[in-house]
Amino acid sequence: MSRHSPFHERTAALCTSYRWKEWAGYHAVCSYDTSVEREYFAFRHAAGLLDASPLIKYDVRGPDAAAYLSRLSVRRIDKLAVGRVVYCCWVDDRGHVIDDGTIARLDEDAYRVTTGEPELWWLEQNRRGYDVSVEETTHRYGVLALQGPSSGAILSAVTGTDLTGLRYFGLTSARLADRDVLVSRTGYTGDLGYEVWVEAEHALPVWDTLMTEGRAYGIVPAGLDALDVTRIEAGYLLLGIDYKSAPRCLIDAQKSSPYEIGLGWMVQLDREPFIGQAALRAEKERGSEWALVGLDVSWTALEALYERHGLPPSLATHAWRTAAPLYDGKRQIGQATSGTWSPTLKRNLALATVRRGYDRVGTRIEIETTVEYRRHTIPATVVDRPFFDPERRRS
Amino acid sequence: MSEKVIVIGGGHNGLTAAATLARHGRSVVLLEKRSGLGGLAAPFEIADGYRVPGLLHDTDRFRPAVARALELHQHGLQWRETPRTELGLSAKGRGVLLSSNREAMAQELQQHSPSDVQPYHRLMTFLDSIRHIVEDLFDSPPPAPAKRELGEAIKMLKKGWAFRRLGAETMIEVLRIAPMCIADWLNEHFESAHLKALLASPALLGTWMGPWSAGSTTTWLLDELTRGRAVAGGPAALVDSLRRCAEAAGVEIRTGCPVRHLQLENGRVRGVELESGETIETASVLATTDAQTTFLELIRPADLGVEFAERIANVRSRGLVAKVHLALSGPLENTTRPGSFERMRTGEHVDDLERAFDAVKYRQISERPILDVWVPSLEDSSLAPKGHHVVSILAQFAPYDLEGGWTDAARVTLGDRVVDTLAEYAPGLKKRIVARQVLSPADLEGELGLTGGHLYHGEHALDQLAFLRPVFDCAHYRTPIEGLIVGGSSCHPGGGLTGVPGWLAAKAL
Amino acid sequence: MAHYDAIIIGGGHNGLVSAAVLAKAGRKVLVLERRHVLGGAAVTEEIYPGFKYSVCSYVVSLLRPEIIRELQLPRFGLEILPLDCSFLPLPDGRSLARWGDAERTRAEVSKFSARDAERASQFGHAMVRMGQLVRPILKMVPPSPGSMNPSQLLDLLQLGRRFQGLGPEGLALATKMMTMSAADFLDEWFESEALKAPMSVSGIIGTFQGVRSPGTAYVLLHHYMGEIDGAYRSWGFAKGGTGAISNAIADSARHFGAEIRTEAPIGRVRIEGGKATGVILENGDEIAANVVVSGVDPHRTFLGLVGEEHLDPDLVKRIRRFKMRGSSGKVNLALDRAPSFTCRPGDGPHIRGDIAIAPSIDYLERAYDQAKYGEFSTRPYLNVVIPSLTDPSVAPPGKHVMSCFVQYAPYRIKEGPEHWPEKREAFGDTVVDTLEEYIPDIRDIILHRQVLSPWDLEQEFGLTEGNIFHGELSLEQLFFLRPTADWSRYRTPVRHLWMCGSGTHPGGGIMGAPGWLAAREMLRAGGV
Repeated sequence: MSRHSPFHERTAALCTSYRWKEWAGYHAVCSYDTSVEREYFAFRHAAGLLDASPLIKYDVRGPDAAAYLSRLSVRRIDKLAVGRVVYCCWVDDRGHVIDDGTIARLDEDAYRVTTGEPELWWLEQNRRGYDVSVEETTHRYGVLALQGPSSGAILSAVTGTDLTGLRYFGLTSARLADRDVLVSRTGYTGDLGYEVWVEAEHALPVWDTLMTEGRAYGIVPAGLDALDVTRIEAGYLLLGIDYKSAPRCLIDAQKSSPYEIGLGWMVQLDREPFIGQAALRAEKERGSEWALVGLDVSWTALEALYERHGLPPSLATHAWRTAAPLYDGKRQIGQATSGTWSPTLKRNLALATVRRGYDRVGTRIEIETTVEYRRHTIPATVVDRPFFDPERRRS
Repeated sequence: MSEKVIVIGGGHNGLTAAATLARHGRSVVLLEKRSGLGGLAAPFEIADGYRVPGLLHDTDRFRPAVARALELHQHGLQWRETPRTELGLSAKGRGVLLSSNREAMAQELQQHSPSDVQPYHRLMTFLDSIRHIVEDLFDSPPPAPAKRELGEAIKMLKKGWAFRRLGAETMIEVLRIAPMCIADWLNEHFESAHLKALLASPALLGTWMGPWSAGSTTTWLLDELTRGRAVAGGPAALVDSLRRCAEAAGVEIRTGCPVRHLQLENGRVRGVELESGETIETASVLATTDAQTTFLELIRPADLGVEFAERIANVRSRGLVAKVHLALSGPLENTTRPGSFERMRTGEHVDDLERAFDAVKYRQISERPILDVWVPSLEDSSLAPKGHHVVSILAQFAPYDLEGGWTDAARVTLGDRVVDTLAEYAPGLKKRIVARQVLSPADLEGELGLTGGHLYHGEHALDQLAFLRPVFDCAHYRTPIEGLIVGGSSCHPGGGLTGVPGWLAAKAL
Repeated sequence: MAHYDAIIIGGGHNGLVSAAVLAKAGRKVLVLERRHVLGGAAVTEEIYPGFKYSVCSYVVSLLRPEIIRELQLPRFGLEILPLDCSFLPLPDGRSLARWGDAERTRAEVSKFSARDAERASQFGHAMVRMGQLVRPILKMVPPSPGSMNPSQLLDLLQLGRRFQGLGPEGLALATKMMTMSAADFLDEWFESEALKAPMSVSGIIGTFQGVRSPGTAYVLLHHYMGEIDGAYRSWGFAKGGTGAISNAIADSARHFGAEIRTEAPIGRVRIEGGKATGVILENGDEIAANVVVSGVDPHRTFLGLVGEEHLDPDLVKRIRRFKMRGSSGKVNLALDRAPSFTCRPGDGPHIRGDIAIAPSIDYLERAYDQAKYGEFSTRPYLNVVIPSLTDPSVAPPGKHVMSCFVQYAPYRIKEGPEHWPEKREAFGDTVVDTLEEYIPDIRDIILHRQVLSPWDLEQEFGLTEGNIFHGELSLEQLFFLRPTADWSRYRTPVRHLWMCGSGTHPGGGIMGAPGWLAAREMLRAGGV
């Protein structure tokens, strides 16, 4: 029953692996080739082009839009300038995270919100008392994420505009393939990158122009598997994997606060009332139970483990997301929720949720792993996130 | 300043709360939106020279416990000695003369339907056996079954023990009948259709139910078991004594003083801003407005938790009772039985009630509304010019969300249906009407600020009573907002001129 | 003369479950069924040549998995084919199909309301929470709140703790669920009629209540609890018709050694010295047993088989006031070809599940209002299934059987229930007229029609007042009050006489739980 993205004609023709998955009700390519490497290295060394149209989008308009979004978000939105984008999360009354995404200020009274799950009900429910309208516009736009070191050059070439001046988390309008597009300097790869927003009916010419003009810069269509590797390298969270959306949890233990998932830095407590303010203030005072950390899983230990079974070390080339328990001795102290072998860093990385006290950089813990169906633990070290953070990302 | 409490609303609950607080040494300011005190118990002018003493007349439900606590007898309150004369109207028969006096009632039944006399006595015996339990529930804050505190657990155990002490049979009977519909339960006892209809109808006031709706037995029991003697002089006298009591205790009463909103800071009450622009600083507010008005209008959305606001918005408060007031040039005579009656009721069969209720489900006015007709001028002749009378009718049912809205034409339709229905029992009525006033639920909302025009500040229903009234997180009068206490009919034990919510809320503060 | 450990009266699914459980425990068991087929209301009959109707009960949802496992029903031929879709055709040409596939359902619901599509999953969560509360209750012999027996007090205490453990929010939700009307309850969650109306009907199936009647939200959960292979919410057909379930249970019972006789109507329970000692058949034969277990409804058990003379007048009064009030009928159709709905033509998967004619809350409520005053609904709620689309064995190739559950058809029509035979065909016409609004050529493809009014259900299947659940599933007739406060633990005031039918906890539907719990309680108590 899934929909086709506005770029489907092109992506389907290129997807020789037939590897697809469902993303927010759309068919989305996992990887165009059977291996993820070509697409991954395009993101890191040239430019990868990812169809991000399924990204859920809401347009919020009206004189109270700024106040409304500020009330909804853990950080102030009313100070956001036109032409800027901000990464943000939303919490419920108890300070549990509902979703995370971006808010772009398109105009004085117009914002575009992107979310990981459909949140129309939440947005609507909190409109009472505010003069705003909320409209889902997911299906109206095609979105392309052009990410990688040569992305700026490609976009500048195809739009005839120098986009290198567009600041990180900036937004501008441009012409591409004779169509009006919006370009934002945002992305999910932790690298230099842009997202191009175009009305659905103009989607194909935009794709074609980018692919044709981008060839000289090494553009490669890329799928979600490559994206997953890059987002873990960048230390970005994935809703539903690294944390769960509070209204979709059955029990409280499954819920998380922004502080617990490493988004505490964005919480702005001292301002007009916002949803979850009291709960977050209380949590900040007493400290959080859990923390999200980056883990560097010992490669030598893994190698030794395989060696014991008479095997060479083998790791999947794509990211994993089956949670693995973490231990301090016999005591379970958390779980790694997703991880990957980083082809760039040559390190075995994971994102993990650990109990308070285990989140300091340098802390050594153990992670469970299986080799030949046998359970083992190997050492892992808490390290700084992002794991990979090139200068070009923000400069 | 910290000692000052602002009470919002000058109805019977607001006055009770204000008086209670002042008598406990608080400095109290009572703010009433309208020009006069009393709310639903305030006099209402029909036409020049004619007025009804209140929109609700039923002072039988004002709790003696509240009157005692406030020593209202020192402020002029007197209970009526003679029971009210009340007649169940019948088109053909002699009707049923209703009385709170059991002997009188039994005698009447002996005439009306002899086989119902024994069941009537049995029912009364059963009611007597559980009355203390219901009264205790009614006159004290609701239990908190989900709370894990020793004190609360002991209270629950005590109540549970009192309940078990009724004996297994009575206890199980209460559990069995509580979720039942009143029609079924009365059918288990009585034969006379007219008697059953008359007994059933009080179960419906303040609900959104017909007699065949499950749970109406509970609302019936709550009404029946908390009735006592009426206040001499009716609602006007009640309000008067409450006002005197409040004033004597030092309450500053300000009428014509609508509140715009509460000022909050970090989730705490800081003051009250009036429509006039004036601001009164205070750390404590006791609001007796209905829950939706209090939380969704007097408090800015940003100051309220999302889930809490949703729960409040979900409180069912669909008004379905209209008021029709008539000014008559002579007495209201009826064909059922000679004489003047202070209260008359229509509905000769439970199905008449149910059919009348059916209409509101489809947003229509009942074709033949069920009427609860009061003639207050029989007790207080000052309400109308000499020899003239006023008639105050609670007409069921007229939906708040009437299809097509409450236009003037719709009001006329409602008024006509009410008068036509009553005229069937009182043929001379129409010629004597000097003035007619129709108050739809929408008018009641506009006039008194009742959300949905609901007389009881939210429907009585099994999930909107006791520790769930209005919602679980402010059922014990304290609210998620520090310094704000609620104490109107939206709270336990609910609507009607009881004074209890205001009293219990003040005690909670 | 033969002597049995236990005689089960009535070869309905609950009676058969009890028989199988007792037989498996090594007891000598005899089942006596009045009709020529087993299954009670869960029967398949070839009323019209080549077409096998699931005459009364037509879908399975609540059959307890532990019964399927313990009685090894798959081994005896039980196969349940899941219903993948709930289809709602609308008169305005729109339609809503809800699928097993959540994403697909979300897309369909989004056509009506994007908000509702999101809310549906949260609603599902809330129902799962409530389900966790109710499931253990379904598996428990009801303790009496007045009891001083320590084990029952312990049960009560645990129940109390379970409720307290919900916290204030969960407790509020549970209270709402137990006492609100299905319509009001759903109003708190959803905005679109197309979603609310077909959901609300599960609150009224088999009861004499409307979707706006308080207390119906609970039954909504009762139906939400359906499980096949442990998965929530899935309903199914039994391959070969509903009778196949009864046959599988019967075969299981026989396998464990039970003896089953059909066309053996019972006259009365033999009572000697206040104890049941066996049964007397209508033909005068007497059969002795240590215990007698009645699978028929409480009215028939106490007022018919036992007789008032053996009972305390107070109990007789209580049994009389136990509300039966059948409210539904059944129309079975043999069709020449698969029907095609105007709003979504073809015989695709959308009509292979259950189809609800329930276009709005008001439509359903109007249907109820008519019934309250003693008429059958002129535009009734219909729950339609076409099992032959999924299971070709029940109709000749290319032909189909269509089963329509019809509500409301009150047992007590104003003319009196005995006048149902004169109204039966008019009632059948109403159903066809209603269907015609959605399937314009339905008349042309009907080969045969079987109409069962509640009166017929009483006459033919022995369901008092045609109540398919052996008594209303209203709050005052559930748990420790089913069928009466003193006798809710499968026992009766007549020693050695037990009950195991749907008139006992936890009630009706092809759940098997009453039969299961009763048999286990008998074994625990001893004496059988």
